[in-house]
Amino acid sequence: MRGARQVKTFGRIHLTASGFAALPLLIVAAVVAALFVFPWLVASPYLLHLMILLFLSVAMGESWNVIGGYCGQYSVGHAAYFGVGAYAALMLLQYKHIAPWWGVWVAIAAALIISLLIGTICFRLRGPYFVLASIAVAEIIRLVVLNWKQLTNGAEGILLVDIPPLMLGGRLVTDWLSKTPFYYLGLILALATLLVNYLVQHSKLGYYLQAIREDQDAAHSLGINLSFYKNVALAISALLTALSGVFYGLYIGFIDPASVLGVDLSVQMVLICIIGGIGTNFGPVVGALVLVPLSEALRANLLSKFLFSIGVVQETSRVGGFLKENLAHAHVLIYGILVVVVILFMPDGVLGFGKKLIARRARPLSATPTPLVGGLDGST
Amino acid sequence: MRVLLQSTASGILIGGVYALVGIGLTIIYGVMRVINFAHGELLMIGMYLTWIIFTSFGVDPFLSIAITIPAMFLFGAFLQRVLINRVLNALPQNQILLTIGLGLVLSNVVMLIYTSDYKIITTRYSSSTINLAGLPISTPLAISLLITTVITAILYFFLLKTDTGQAIRATAQDRDAAQLMGINVKRMSVLAFGIGTALAGTAGALVSPTYYIFPQVGGAFTLKAFVIVVLGGMGSVIGATLGGIIIGVTESLAAVYVSSGMKEVFVYVLFLLVLLFKPAGLLGRSRM
Amino acid sequence: MALLEIRHLFKFFGGLAANSDIVCSVESGMIMGLIGPNGSGKTTLFNCITGYYPPTKGEIIFKGQRINGLKPDRVCKLGMARTWQKVRPLAKLSVLENVMVGALARTGSLKVARRAALHQLELMRMENRANSLAGSLSIGERKKLEVARVLATQPELLLLDEVMGGLNPVESEEIIQLILDIKKRGLTQVVIEHDMKAIMRISDRVMVLNSGEKLAEGTPQQVVSNPDVVTAYLGSAHVA
Repeated sequence: MRGARQVKTFGRIHLTASGFAALPLLIVAAVVAALFVFPWLVASPYLLHLMILLFLSVAMGESWNVIGGYCGQYSVGHAAYFGVGAYAALMLLQYKHIAPWWGVWVAIAAALIISLLIGTICFRLRGPYFVLASIAVAEIIRLVVLNWKQLTNGAEGILLVDIPPLMLGGRLVTDWLSKTPFYYLGLILALATLLVNYLVQHSKLGYYLQAIREDQDAAHSLGINLSFYKNVALAISALLTALSGVFYGLYIGFIDPASVLGVDLSVQMVLICIIGGIGTNFGPVVGALVLVPLSEALRANLLSKFLFSIGVVQETSRVGGFLKENLAHAHVLIYGILVVVVILFMPDGVLGFGKKLIARRARPLSATPTPLVGGLDGST
Repeated sequence: MRVLLQSTASGILIGGVYALVGIGLTIIYGVMRVINFAHGELLMIGMYLTWIIFTSFGVDPFLSIAITIPAMFLFGAFLQRVLINRVLNALPQNQILLTIGLGLVLSNVVMLIYTSDYKIITTRYSSSTINLAGLPISTPLAISLLITTVITAILYFFLLKTDTGQAIRATAQDRDAAQLMGINVKRMSVLAFGIGTALAGTAGALVSPTYYIFPQVGGAFTLKAFVIVVLGGMGSVIGATLGGIIIGVTESLAAVYVSSGMKEVFVYVLFLLVLLFKPAGLLGRSRM
Repeated sequence: MALLEIRHLFKFFGGLAANSDIVCSVESGMIMGLIGPNGSGKTTLFNCITGYYPPTKGEIIFKGQRINGLKPDRVCKLGMARTWQKVRPLAKLSVLENVMVGALARTGSLKVARRAALHQLELMRMENRANSLAGSLSIGERKKLEVARVLATQPELLLLDEVMGGLNPVESEEIIQLILDIKKRGLTQVVIEHDMKAIMRISDRVMVLNSGEKLAEGTPQQVVSNPDVVTAYLGSAHVA
């Protein structure tokens, strides 16, 4: 059949906006292999820590992408799933001594219940209600956790004492006492979320979600059950986000309502996606690669030190002192500025910006005009 | 019984202020179809402005409203021209994100300048009460309800009787039709955002004698404002007025009968229930 | 038995009767033209039939089944598809992907959907635009894309809402040939149009709406020589 081989995704830049720039499989495999070998070559715990933060950010971004990027339903309350996941796993571990590889199932179940609740209420409605409800639910959960002190220890949070060693077939896999097991767990989590994104995108589900995002009514008239598919997307997203929350709790070892249930966290998840390029497979990776170093640089005062070293600002001046004291805490301010800048100037993110440049170079594929009645080309 | 009456009364008082916040938000949404997530932060700016005027010049917070209203109006108009205007035709999701970002910037800039320390405004009458039908009512809240009523009345008069007000309502009902009738819809957007900001800032000024002032105080107000707007029907000024009172009373009763920390939970749960059963709002229709 | 039967359909918006006592019968394989001045309720009728909103009163019978109140996705699955007066391309997806979304109504496999979509595009002679972004298409191409997309859902009844609106004469002629082609393929169609010449050429029967009510129905010749219809159209008369 003529044209049946026209759509190739291997080894060519795919010019459509399903967004998946299909890099040759070899590069991807090489990068993954390098990541797996990384801890053997690098001993610095700080670098390992940075990589773990990177993996966590990638996972959070990819999780949000399913409902926000593909389906176009912007949840600004995803901290709900993250925090519920973290609290479920850690409470079970700390208070009931249930190992996290069992506790994670409870975390997932809790997140799914919440997602179904929000979805049932909102997805039959048109308009901004989902965004509002997502924020409201996250706040409800945060306030409940904050105030139910007997259950959750309230504002003091939960400090993890230790994680039981992981045994498989009688042999010790890890005792969780260094950063390395968390590195690998984080890497697997990030890769898993990337894989889920890829599978979703290249399936009927992905096509339907994107149709819903582009034009709900058109999608509806094409046989797509809007509520059902939105709920599926949200459920997948909630599940993955809960896993990220569990991972965070185990790695950092301390959680409290502010750190795992706050709106800052929800905004951060959205930011990771929109910086890189919303609705793309690798967008959150790019976003994480931008945000994690930026946060760390701010936190460690690297930015101030840099400005001092190149002489733009004097360390002893008022501005210098001000920067030194406050830039470290300014990362939320930077997030806010970034959101504004990205929305105004780069709404499709870094990847979208790049794609526009590429598309401008390549010409559209039609070299032969469509033969029309009368012989005139109607597509002026 | 006294407790019930008293907490209901307090609820109505604070509800009036909430109504101001809600009306501002609903006007912005009605005219521009923009969901302003920075609304609470605008209220916070109003609080800080009042505090600055109070501590630097000793002007009573209720009197300095004369300065706060025009200042906030100009600030809102500025924000609209510089930022909001650029996303009027963007996806609603992007509009939401932009205003969320704006809110973050506002609250964090204030935090950088003034730190997170709680500030308070204490006036002669901050903790005094007046006697209304045997119930002690907080004086500052009573004054603020009075001022709120006056402002709301002026607003209703403006919207219903003046040409500009009717132009705003026309733009809210049908932007394209209004434009075809010769209404400068761009100007209406600036006005709407200016008015909305002024109302939010005024609400901030009114509660400044009774609330702690800190950079993050806006967040809870934003969400509550949205609950009010949805409750009353998006775009409906009357709805927002009623919604404000309902939310105020709900919150007050929850604070007294359950706990102060959980009072917002009841407001948010009420929100979810409204979405479940009456998403078009209690009054059922979006109109100004 | 008629493929589609509309029995005394009413649709009220508040106090406004957008559709008032519409009675109509569409036989399998025919093309029914639906005409009327702007605001006469044509698109509203489409919206009621396809489940976009429920009729206030009356019945819609499709393939012998009462479909009042069914949601649009169910209606599509049953075999009724519609295009939109204002085209709705899925802008960020490619032309091929757009049509695939339609094809996925009948299959879960991307491979099958892709093949079916390419087939539809070839019938439209649009296969060379398969990888272009739908948002970059001209209006004529978008209209064709929309038709290709709904055809991929394998409908038995196709509702076309002003599919020639905004097209130049060459493009319109293409659409007319397309509609006749679709009829040859065995589909039934209801076509809303303002272009009288086109309606006269393609329709087996024509129904005229005016102010929400059915004004007339009959063969194209009957309708066009109906004095009430001429009155309603005073000022835009052009009879082939």
